[in-house]
Amino acid sequence: MSGGAAVRHWRAQRVSAVALILLTLWLVESLLAHLGADRAQIQAWLGQPIPAALAAALVAVAFFHLALGVRVVLEDYVHTPRRQSTALLANRVACWALALIALAAIATLAFGW
Amino acid sequence: MIPAERPLSPHLQIYKPQLTSVLSITHRGTGLALGVGAIFFVWWLSGAAWSDACFRAAQAFWGSWLGKLFLLGWTFSLFFHLLNGVRHLLWDIGFGFELPMAYRTGWTVVAFSALLTVVAFGGGLYAWGLS
Repeated sequence: MSGGAAVRHWRAQRVSAVALILLTLWLVESLLAHLGADRAQIQAWLGQPIPAALAAALVAVAFFHLALGVRVVLEDYVHTPRRQSTALLANRVACWALALIALAAIATLAFGW
Repeated sequence: MIPAERPLSPHLQIYKPQLTSVLSITHRGTGLALGVGAIFFVWWLSGAAWSDACFRAAQAFWGSWLGKLFLLGWTFSLFFHLLNGVRHLLWDIGFGFELPMAYRTGWTVVAFSALLTVVAFGGGLYAWGLS
């Protein structure tokens, strides 16, 4: 990583961490409130605009934060350059894919598609 | 060409475990565990959006012993990573670097992670039993 990229990584990791403090506490509280809920109840919950917006924000920020964290772990523990670049690419693709699937699911629930 | 033998810093197992280093590696471990949890969360969310069978499979998994064990692990991981993350953010703004303070905040993180896990998971199990 170049100096500028390292600073951006450091800052992005911390800004997303601060956002996740509130978003994950909201998720814990919401999941506890929906214990044993059936599919219709989950659809009704995420069919409301505010829960859907918070869930979308949580998913986007969480996978962004996860991608940054896993990247550092891979840089530390995968020493072969080719394996490391493959692993770093796989990490980005997986985090993007999971985030997009989750956002599509939330959109489906929110707009009743 | 013979690759240059560059010096590596000693690996983890060289050092005697101390609270500071154990919490540091646990921060990574819990972060990775939460990443695995996020995959399961997307599975459940996809079920809620698109597939009855998928949603019911996810719900059945949470209800199983293995599912509950995973949920317990993720509950602890979330609280630990959150609280220790705040500890890192405080270091970033220059608070708590002195060794006695690093130990004190470290034990605080351990104690509150355990407490919040018991409250959230225990309360959840209790409420689930009633529902």
